[in-house]
Amino acid sequence: MEGHQRNLYLYERFNARVLGVSRDDIITLKYFAKTLDLTFPLISNVTAFLGVSMDVQPEGQPIFGRRTVIIDKTGIIRYSREGSPDFKDILLFLKKMKQEGRLDPTTGGKP
Amino acid sequence: MAWLAGCATMGPPKKVPYRLSPQGIVIWEDEFEFVPPSPDWKLLRVEVGENDINFGFMKSDPGGYPSVTSFAYDEEPFGCATKFEQREKEFFKRFLFNAILQFQILERKNIRVVGGEGLAVTVEGKDSVKEEKVRAKVIFGKRGDRVVGFYITQWRPMDGTYDLSAFETFDKFVDSFKFLKKSFYETL
Repeated sequence: MEGHQRNLYLYERFNARVLGVSRDDIITLKYFAKTLDLTFPLISNVTAFLGVSMDVQPEGQPIFGRRTVIIDKTGIIRYSREGSPDFKDILLFLKKMKQEGRLDPTTGGKP
Repeated sequence: MAWLAGCATMGPPKKVPYRLSPQGIVIWEDEFEFVPPSPDWKLLRVEVGENDINFGFMKSDPGGYPSVTSFAYDEEPFGCATKFEQREKEFFKRFLFNAILQFQILERKNIRVVGGEGLAVTVEGKDSVKEEKVRAKVIFGKRGDRVVGFYITQWRPMDGTYDLSAFETFDKFVDSFKFLKKSFYETL
């Protein structure tokens, strides 16, 4: 999470926004955000439906597995990687998407 | 220069990430250069990952456990802020977190480092339960827009004596440290 916070100015440059999603409740996430001085949104998905849709909810486990997903302006998933975020990989991908106009609000993300 | 001391293996020789200039300066992955410490310091290298140092050096010191000194360069020290004062607060929330120490700031001063402004903070932490203490110096500098860090930690038993010559070695390493090219983030 700290890595995303450090890279916020770069995400801004590429017109991208970051959201964190977990199964923790809101109070826990508020404390987590405060402890790490996070300024981007954290979403509480206690019922796990988001995680199930992103295929990060292992059967029988109470928490999500880690996955980074990049969704373009049209709602299409363009990037999905399991495990801890590879920040350089993410940034290079966002840069590419920006260059292709997939993150530009004026084009609506048309390919 | 016998740096990489360790057990000999029968495998193929691994490529080292550095080379030495004729002047004895280390060129690390063609990205950094610095004056190396004496051969009694062993090289530490960590696989790239979040919240890991890039590389460092460590030596065992005379005396009872724990008597060890290590120093390192970290491209991404704990925390997120780009202002040193705020980064210092964030950093010390997590530095040596597992050791559960009470830190006392011995000195804080603005300095010049890696060609720009920096902040040096010297602290001492004590664990009265384990009867251990640590003296550490953390230096924050800038690489482009981002904060980088150098730190040295020297552990001792509570009644042990610090060896400040190790801190002079660290200062020499930091003073000599140069970036040889722009970082990944500066080229985005």
